Amino acid sequence: MGAHHHHHGNGHSHDDHEPIREAPEISEFEVLELAVRELSIEKGLFSAEDHRRFSEWAENIGPAGGSRLVAKAWTDPEFKRRLLDDGTATCAEVGIDWRDPTGKGTPSDYTYFYVLENTPDVHNVIVCTLCSCYPRPVLGMSPDWYRTPNYRRRLVRRPREVLAEFGLHVPPSVEVRVHDSNQKSRFMVMPMRPAGTDDWTEAELAAIVTRDTMIGVAVPQVDWTATRAPSELGGHR
Amino acid sequence: MTRFEIGDRVTVRDATTLFHTRTQAYTRGCTGVVVEHRPDWIIPEDEAWGRDRDGRTEPFYVVRFRQSELWSDYTGFEIDTLETEFSERWLEPAEEAAT
Repeated sequence: MGAHHHHHGNGHSHDDHEPIREAPEISEFEVLELAVRELSIEKGLFSAEDHRRFSEWAENIGPAGGSRLVAKAWTDPEFKRRLLDDGTATCAEVGIDWRDPTGKGTPSDYTYFYVLENTPDVHNVIVCTLCSCYPRPVLGMSPDWYRTPNYRRRLVRRPREVLAEFGLHVPPSVEVRVHDSNQKSRFMVMPMRPAGTDDWTEAELAAIVTRDTMIGVAVPQVDWTATRAPSELGGHR
Repeated sequence: MTRFEIGDRVTVRDATTLFHTRTQAYTRGCTGVVVEHRPDWIIPEDEAWGRDRDGRTEPFYVVRFRQSELWSDYTGFEIDTLETEFSERWLEPAEEAAT
């Protein structure tokens, strides 16, 4: 892996310095990943170049695709109906190829995609208690906390407390509905469009549909974003 | 053909945990309502062994539980729910399970 850099401090002789310590020790999971990867390359299942390109793709996708889906659904009722009916097919309309996201064969878990609509009566939130399944082609890589045992265990058992820790207090009259992605389906939440956004463009709307609002641990806010251009917020026109 | 229809009350079987099932421990023995059908998929018990093309397929169902039926000490509200998916082999009619 890493190159062996020998840093020689000023004034030290080459003979008496302490052994150079490498960066933090590699974990068992990283060893396992390396071993499986190298065996797979040796067996010809994929090439090192395939692996590099997939890694680059995976590290660069973000939640912008999901934001565009929601913003378009908020402004186009017909699109919204299609999105709720068939999430997998409708993704393609905003440029997300759910079926074959990398263009290099489909990972087996990108199978079915469902969009969960929040309403005045139901607040949806997603988790995977079994590993950390997540709709990566739409939302990018999952945040670190999404993969922690703490979030995964507690969201199914104490959802309102966990949401409150994120600053989201769901009123008693609203049903909290947890979706545990244990099989083939992957989910994202379509939050409710906030009041005061009637004259907003799709791009302006997309800027307030953040990753966390599509996981369901937050709801879109207009207060601090409304006064800023989407470009300042990392939005894309 | 599907054994269960939308609206049916079903109980999750408390079967062996020796092999890969994707059926969470916290749902075992709990009763909920079928809210959606999913397509026939290869069951994880076979897919886990690399049978991702020739494994056995079964209907899958989305089951909605009341949180208070999953957790006797649930601290939220009675209206709160949880949804998750099961292959047909993991479900039985709630009445049968009650005996």
